[in-house]
Amino acid sequence: MKIGEKYAARAANKDDNMVPLINVVFLMLVFFMVAGQIQKADPIAVMPPYSINDTRAVTDPNVVIVVGSDDSDSLYVDDERFVLDEIQAYLEQQFTAAENKEAFWVQIKADGAISLEKLRPVFNQVRLAGLTKVSLATQLERGEE
Amino acid sequence: MPLNLSQPKRKNAISLTPLIDVVFILLLFFMLTSSFVPWRIVDTPLSMTPDTPKSEEEKDNIILTLKQNDAQVWVEDQAIRFADQAYFQTLIADHNEAIFIIKAEEGVTLQSLMQLADRLKLNGAKTVSIANAFAMPETK
Repeated sequence: MKIGEKYAARAANKDDNMVPLINVVFLMLVFFMVAGQIQKADPIAVMPPYSINDTRAVTDPNVVIVVGSDDSDSLYVDDERFVLDEIQAYLEQQFTAAENKEAFWVQIKADGAISLEKLRPVFNQVRLAGLTKVSLATQLERGEE
Repeated sequence: MPLNLSQPKRKNAISLTPLIDVVFILLLFFMLTSSFVPWRIVDTPLSMTPDTPKSEEEKDNIILTLKQNDAQVWVEDQAIRFADQAYFQTLIADHNEAIFIIKAEEGVTLQSLMQLADRLKLNGAKTVSIANAFAMPETK
């Protein structure tokens, strides 16, 4: 019977209205897979300073220090909260344990709006630990204002 | 008369729901783990003995001091705007081999420091040192 067949065909394709949704979801998926970079999230949100500098890190940093904004007192070393005075000992310990001491480097991530006085003690701790290879994280500027 | 008993062609539709489930999970994963910040690094090599190169430093090096976040820098007691392209070009052309050392006073932000370093590099400075801006006041 004609009517019955028609009805059956429609019932079999009840997922048809999902197709546009899947199209969009697939497009988003491809976008995030291609455009995004998968990396470990920082313990606190940090907006590094903009710079035209285009140097990429060749190796992963041995120690990452994340300095919070001016009004907060947070300081994270390798994702753990630290007190400023403990950084030196930790760095020395990490350096001793490192296999490739020549390539040992420390990355400091700080907000662009942070004042330099807040960063000075952190740099001083690194210097006291006897390390010289330090890099500041920046983000690539997207053209002139 | 032979009967045509072959069954009518039926579209063997696969249910899309499990597919959507998986795709949604993948989408969520990539949305949450992706980072779009183009991270770069600026090397700030620290010297172990900040006092020793001083005699050499004074030879031909240019010291630029940031006092506030007002897009101005002080060079030899003269305030220069970051936008003053001509001044930077002349300064850099005149001191081609010099190291441009940036110092900063209290309250200056990291962004201001980077802005000045960028300005110097854009105008052709070969060596810009920002490590001094991070030196503790006692070791200056």
